[in-house]
Amino acid sequence: MAESAVPSWLSRSRLAVASAAGGLAAVASKAAGRGSGASIRGQVLLRLDPQALGKLLADRRIAVISGTNGKTTTTHLLAAAVRAGSGSETVVTNADGANLHGGIAAALVVAPAGGIAVLETDERVVGDVLRLGSPETLVLLNFSRDQLDRHHEIKALGRGWRQALELAGAAGPVVIANANDPLVVWSAGPARHTVWVDTGSGWLQDASLCPECGSMLTRDEVGRWDCPGCELTQPEARYRVEGDVVTDSNGATHRLDLQVPGRFNRANAACALAAAREMGIDVKAALAGMATVTSPAGRFATAHFGSCRARLLLAKNPAGWAESLPLVGTDPVVLAIDSAAADGRDVSWLWDVEFEQLVGRHVIATGPRARDLAVRLSYAGVRHTVVHDLGDALTDRADSVDVIATYTPFQKLRKLGGLT
Amino acid sequence: MKPVKIVLIYQSLLGIYGDRGNATVLAKRLEWRGISAELEVVEPGDPIPSDAQLYLLGGGEDMAQISAANAITADGGLYRGLESGAVLFAVCAGYQICGNSYTVGDNDTVVAGLGLLDVDTRRAPERAVGEILTRWERPDGSQSLITGFENHGGHTTLGRGARPLAAVEIGVGNANDGTEGAVQGRVIGSYPHGPILARNPQLADHLLTMATDRDMSPLDDSAIDRLRSERIAHVRRGRK
Ligand SMILES: [Zn+2]
Repeated sequence: MAESAVPSWLSRSRLAVASAAGGLAAVASKAAGRGSGASIRGQVLLRLDPQALGKLLADRRIAVISGTNGKTTTTHLLAAAVRAGSGSETVVTNADGANLHGGIAAALVVAPAGGIAVLETDERVVGDVLRLGSPETLVLLNFSRDQLDRHHEIKALGRGWRQALELAGAAGPVVIANANDPLVVWSAGPARHTVWVDTGSGWLQDASLCPECGSMLTRDEVGRWDCPGCELTQPEARYRVEGDVVTDSNGATHRLDLQVPGRFNRANAACALAAAREMGIDVKAALAGMATVTSPAGRFATAHFGSCRARLLLAKNPAGWAESLPLVGTDPVVLAIDSAAADGRDVSWLWDVEFEQLVGRHVIATGPRARDLAVRLSYAGVRHTVVHDLGDALTDRADSVDVIATYTPFQKLRKLGGLT
Repeated sequence: MKPVKIVLIYQSLLGIYGDRGNATVLAKRLEWRGISAELEVVEPGDPIPSDAQLYLLGGGEDMAQISAANAITADGGLYRGLESGAVLFAVCAGYQICGNSYTVGDNDTVVAGLGLLDVDTRRAPERAVGEILTRWERPDGSQSLITGFENHGGHTTLGRGARPLAAVEIGVGNANDGTEGAVQGRVIGSYPHGPILARNPQLADHLLTMATDRDMSPLDDSAIDRLRSERIAHVRRGRK
C-alpha cells in the first residue's frame, strides 16, 4: 500500500540510487577481502530502499528452493537445468548461497528485469518471497533439526510455509516437494498443486510425530509413513529416484549424470528435474545442464594446503552429517567444528552423529570446538588427534584428504585453500 | 554377573539435543572398566522393561513431551523399575515431565506430569539459552563443577519433596533462583541437556555408583578434563 502512494518514477529512481550505493559497498567489501560482497550489497540496498526486494522480484519468472539441507546444491542444479533449456532467456541466481532478503536482492539487482530467477531462499524468508514475488515454482526439500539454539521449534517454520501458501491461494506456486518428509508434506498442504518426489528414505529422527494431530506416525515395511490419527499420509509420488535413475509415474526413466556425490544429491537432482519440467524445460536439456554442476558455492571443491589436496564437504546439522560421513574416503579424515552463530552455539548435535562409522580410520579434529569432537570420538572408539588451527590441520598433512566442516570453518577453509 | 541394564526411553520423542549421548557415555564407562552393560533404546509401542538399573529421559518439543508422558504412564514399566530401586536421570523436557505439572503451547495449558519429582514447571518470561555452569554437591559434601548448555522455555520450582541438584554459578537453571535441577530419592532431573554426562564424568560415575552399588574405578579422563577446562574458562570469561 505504502508503495502505491509514491509516484512510480520516484520509487524507481530510489531503487536506482539504492542499487548504485549497494554496488559501491560491494566493491569496497570485496576489496577489503570480505567475500563476494553480495550480503553487504543487499543490506545496503534494502536499507536505502526497503521496498527493493518486491520491485526486484516483479516481472520475472521465479523458482524458489528451500529446506534445511541441500538448498544451495539444488539451486545450482535447477539453475543449470533452466540455463541449458531456456534458450535466450536470461537466468539469474544467488549462486553464493546468500539466501536472506539481502542476498536475494543482491543477486537480482545485477540482472536486468525479465528472464528467470532461480532463488535459494532461507526457510524463514519463503513467506516474504511468496508474497512479494509470486513465484511459479517452489521446491521444498526437507526439514530437520538445525541450530536449535536459535529456532526452538522445527514445526514453526512449516507453519509459516502453510500460511504463505494459504495466502497465495490460486495464484500460488506449483510446489515440488519431498513426499518422504512428513513435515514437508504437511507444510505443502495448502498448495494449489503439488508434484511429489519420492526421494527414498532419509533422516527420520525429526519425523516421529504427525505435525497435524500429534499422533505417532507409523511406517510400513518399505518405509512409507502414515498417520493413524488423521488423514495425513505419504502421498503418491510423480517421481521416484533410485540410484542414478529417476522414474516418473508414466514409467519413463531418466538417468542422472551428476558430478556432485552422494545419495542425497541424487534426491536433490530429482527435485530439480521435476521443477525444471514444471517450468517447461526439456528433460534432455535439464539433465545435460545438471551434469555440468561441480562444486556449488565450494561444496565438494578441492582446495590446496601446501602439498595437501583437500576435498571440502559442508555439514551443518545431524541430517547433513548423516549424508556426508559415508562420502569420505580418505585416511586420515579431517573434521572441523565451530560454534559461531552460523554453526549453532550448542554442539550437543555431535552426539546425534554416528561417528562410529569412522572406526578404523584416523581423524584430525580441528576448529574451535575440536575438544568437544575429541570427547565424542573417544566414546565412539575412533582414533584421533586434536589440531586446533585449521591451517595446521591440513597443510602438508597428506596427499589428499576429505574434510567435513560446519559452516564457519568451511568458509574459512575455502579462503585458506585459495577457492574464494 | 548380569550386565548392567540401561534403558533410554523414547529416543525418537525425547532426544532432540543429542540426549542419546548420555546413554552412550554411561554404557562406555562401564565397558571401559570391564563391567558389562546392556543398552536398550525403547520406542513408544515397545514395553519399557522394569528390570533396568538405570533409566534415561531426554529433551523434546511440547507435543513430544505430552506423547511421551502419556505413553510412560500407560506402560507402567518405568514406575515398576523405580520401585525396584532403579535410578532415573532426566534432562530438559524429560526433567519437566517428571514433575507434578508443566505447561505447553501458546495458551500455557497445564499438563499433569509423571509425579516422580516434587517440582512444577511454568512458562518463563524469556527462554533460557546458553552455556551454564553450576556447583554440584555430592551426598558426602564434596563439590564438582557441572558444565553444560541449557535451552528451555520453562521455569521450575521445587516443592518440599525435592532438593536442588546444584547451585548456579552462571546461567538460569531452574528459575533464575540460583538452583539447578532436582533430586528426590533415586530420581535426578537437570536442565543442561544433551550429553551433559560427556562433559561431566563425575556425575556419570555418580549415577553408575547409585545404580550398581559399586565404586567406579578412575578412568583416564584427561581429554575430558581439557574440554572441561576450556568450557569453564569460556563461560566465566563470557560473564565478565
Ligand atoms: Zn495425524
